[in-house]
Amino acid sequence: MSRCDFKIVLLGSEHVGKTSLVLRFVNCRFNAEIPYQNTVGAAFCAKAMRSKEKDYSIGIWDTAGSERYEAMTRIYYRGAHAAIICYEPSSHESWTRLRHWLHELRTVEDSCKVYLCGTKKDLLDGGFVKREVAEEIVNTYSQDLNGHFLTSSKTGENVDELFQKIVDDLAADVEVMKTVTESRLLLTELDKRKSKKDVCAC
Amino acid sequence: MASTSNDNVPQHMNAPENASDELEPGACHDSILNPTDSFEEFASEMSSSLRETCLTTKSSTISEIQSEILETAEDPKLKAAKSSDDLQTKDGSMSASASNSNLIEENGDDTDDDKDYLQSPELVNKEKHVFILSTAGKPIYSRYGNEDKLAGLCGVIQALVSVIEEQNQDILRFINTKDCKAVFLVKGPLILVAVSKSNESETQLVLQLTYAFNQIVSLLTLTQLNRIFEQRRNYDLRRLLAGAERLIDHLLVFMEKDPAFLLGAVRCLPLPEKARENITNAITTTCHKIRDLVFAIMIAGNQLITLVRMKKYTLHPSDIHLLFNLIRSSESFKTAESWTPICLPKFDATGFLHGHVSYISEDCQACLLLLTVQRDAFTTLSQAKHTIAEKMRRANCLVAINNALNRNEELSTTKPLKHIGIPEIRHFMYKCKSTAQLFSSDPISLDRLQDYRLRHKEGGDIVDKKITKLSDIDYVRNYRKFCNQIHCVATPAKLIFRSSSQDTILSWVTNGFELYVTFDPLMEKDHAIKAVDRLLRWIKKEEERIFIMNAPTF
Ligand SMILES: Nc1nc2c(ncn2[C@@H]2O[C@H](COP(=O)(O)OP(=O)(O)OP(=O)(O)O)[C@@H](O)[C@H]2O)c(=O)[nH]1
Ligand SMILES: [Mg+2]
Repeated sequence: MSRCDFKIVLLGSEHVGKTSLVLRFVNCRFNAEIPYQNTVGAAFCAKAMRSKEKDYSIGIWDTAGSERYEAMTRIYYRGAHAAIICYEPSSHESWTRLRHWLHELRTVEDSCKVYLCGTKKDLLDGGFVKREVAEEIVNTYSQDLNGHFLTSSKTGENVDELFQKIVDDLAADVEVMKTVTESRLLLTELDKRKSKKDVCAC
Repeated sequence: MASTSNDNVPQHMNAPENASDELEPGACHDSILNPTDSFEEFASEMSSSLRETCLTTKSSTISEIQSEILETAEDPKLKAAKSSDDLQTKDGSMSASASNSNLIEENGDDTDDDKDYLQSPELVNKEKHVFILSTAGKPIYSRYGNEDKLAGLCGVIQALVSVIEEQNQDILRFINTKDCKAVFLVKGPLILVAVSKSNESETQLVLQLTYAFNQIVSLLTLTQLNRIFEQRRNYDLRRLLAGAERLIDHLLVFMEKDPAFLLGAVRCLPLPEKARENITNAITTTCHKIRDLVFAIMIAGNQLITLVRMKKYTLHPSDIHLLFNLIRSSESFKTAESWTPICLPKFDATGFLHGHVSYISEDCQACLLLLTVQRDAFTTLSQAKHTIAEKMRRANCLVAINNALNRNEELSTTKPLKHIGIPEIRHFMYKCKSTAQLFSSDPISLDRLQDYRLRHKEGGDIVDKKITKLSDIDYVRNYRKFCNQIHCVATPAKLIFRSSSQDTILSWVTNGFELYVTFDPLMEKDHAIKAVDRLLRWIKKEEERIFIMNAPTF
C-alpha cells in the first residue's frame, strides 16, 4: 500500500481545505454537511494514476495545518517528490503561512517540486467571499514554481488537473524516474527474497 | 432501610467468595492494564503540598525504550535515528511562523458586558460548567458559551486561587454553596475549575478535571506545556489546541455517562475466546519483529478488543480512555491511514509516541493503533496493518467483531440479564480490580451516547422532568453516591445495601472486585445476596468472553 512511486505532500494553514481536496480527488466526493474537523497529525492515501500510457502509484500526505504540528510536519514532507501548498484567496493569513512553507521547503527539500493551490474557488466565483490575496502577487510567486491552480473541492473544478499535472511532471523528470525505477527494482527483489524465505519456512 | 458495614461483612456475604477457591471473575495473573486505582491517586493528589503542584516529572519511559532499542541495534543507521521528539522548532523557542506575528492580545476588560454575559441563557442553569485557564488568568476552555467573553470570570478565579496561595500559603480546593460545588485544580501552568450541581462528589469532579488536564497534555506533552508558559506567562494556549475543544467536550460527556470513568476501568468488547485469540495472534505474528513498537491496541466503540505490548510496559486505564476519546471524536481517522504524535500522560507525560491509526476495513469499525517510539516507522506499520487486517479477515474475526458491535441477540453477552435469568435484577456493573476491566449489564449503547451528546450540546441544562424509564446512563448516575462511599478514604464501606420504594441498590467491594447491582424496590437482603451469588457465577462462567484474560507481548 505504502510502496508508492511518487510521494506528494499537502501543506497549508488549518481550514484552507487540504483534506477536502484529497477526498475530492481520491474518493470523488465532497460533503458540505459534515462539520469541519481538523486533521489529527497527518493522513495518508494512495491512488493509481496514468501518465503517457504508463501506470504510477502515488502516495498523498494530507498534513494538519494546526500550529501544534508545525515542527512535526517535517517528518511528513521529508523525501516528498512534490508539495502542494494550499491557501485561501480570501484569507491573507493563509497566504502568509504559505510563504512560510515555501521557505521551509526550499531550505529542507530543495529538489521537491512545488505547486500552489488556491482553494474554494466556488466561494470566490459565487461572490460569497472577497479576494484578499491579489492575483499579481500569486503570479509573481508562482513563476519560479512548478504550477498554480485555483481549485474547488465542492465542484471538483481543476482538482484532477492539478494532480495530473504533478504526475505528468514527475514522470517526465529523468532524475525522479531514475530513483523510481531503482526503488521498484529493489522492492521486487525484496519480495522475491521474502517469498523464497516463506517457502523455506514451511 | 439502609445498612452499611465497614469491617464485619455478614457471614453469608462470604458465601460467593468461598463457594469456589477460584479467582474472582475476570482475574488473571498478568494484566495488560495497570490496575492503580484512580481514587488512590486522588488521595495522593490531595495530600500534595503547595510546592509539589508545580509538576516535576520523573524519568522518561520513552527515552528508556529508545535507549534499550539502541543498545541492541546492529544497524548504525538506527542509532543515528535516535530522536527526542518534540513539537518545538530546532532552537527550542516557540515556533516562529509568520502567523505568530499578528497575535492580538484581546482581554475582555469590559466587566459590565461580562456580567451580562454570565446571565445569558448560554451559561445559566447548566448542570456542570468546566473552565480551564492559565495561571496568568487567560481563558483556555469553557464548556458552555464563548471563553473569550469570560475573561472577567477567569480573572476572578485566578485572583481567588493566587490570593489563597500567596497570602495563606494554602491551596483552594472546594467552595460549596447550598446547591452547587466549585472544585479547583491547579496543575502546572493551568487552573481547572468545575462548577457543578450534579450529584458527583468533589473527588469525582477532581478526577474529571485531571482527565481534562491529561487530555491537553496528550496533545502537547507536559514538557512543552510547562516550557511554553515558562517562556511566555501570558501565552494564549488555544493557538496550539486546535481541535482540543471538541475532545474535551466529548470527554466531559463521556465521563458523566460511562461507568468506565467512575470505576477507573476499561470495558472490553465481548468476543468468543477463539476470536480474540485469533486477533491477538494476527497482531503478534505480524509485529513480533518490529522492534520499536510499544503497543498495538485494537478498539471498537469505546471497548478494548485486544492490547499487545512490549514486555515490561503496561497501560493505565486512563490513557486508554483518552485513546477511546480521541478515536470516537475524530472523523478524520475514518477516511485514511493516519500518522500522528500522541502523548499518553500516565505512560510518559514528557514525550510523544507516534501512532499509526486506521480502521480495519470499510466493513468493520474496529480501529487499530500501533504506537511506536520511532518517528519514521509509518511505512513499516502501514504494511503491518494490512497484513493484520488480511489475517483477521481470513480467520473470520471481522464477522465476530461485527456481531459483537451490532449486539447480535444470539450472543449471551448481548443481553446478559436475559441469560442470567434473575428477573429482579435491573442493572449491574462489575469491575475486576486486578485487571482494571469492567462489565455491565447494558453496555452504554453508542447511539444513546450520541443522542445524549446531541441533547447536551443544545442544553446541558438542569431538567426536573421525572424519568419514566431508566436508561443505563441513569443507573450509573445512581451508583455515584455508593461508589463514593466505598472509596471514602476516612471510612470506606465494604458493603452497602439500600432498599427504597424506587429500587434496591447493593454495592459490594472485596479485594478482588467491585460490584453494583440495582434490584426491584423493597428487595429482601437475603434474597438479594442469593441473586448476587448467582450473578457472580454467571460472570465467572462468561469471563473468558467478557474480559481479556491474558497479557500478550510482542
Ligand atoms: N465551498 C467550499 N468549501 C470548502 C472547499 N474546500 C473545503 N471547504 C470547507 O472548508 C472547511 C475546511 O476544510 P478541510 O479540508 O477540513 O481543511 P484542512 O485544510 O484539511 O484543515 P486542517 O486539517 O485543520 O489543516 C470545511 O468545512 C470544508 O467543507 C471548497 O472547495 N468549497
Ligand atoms: Mg485536514
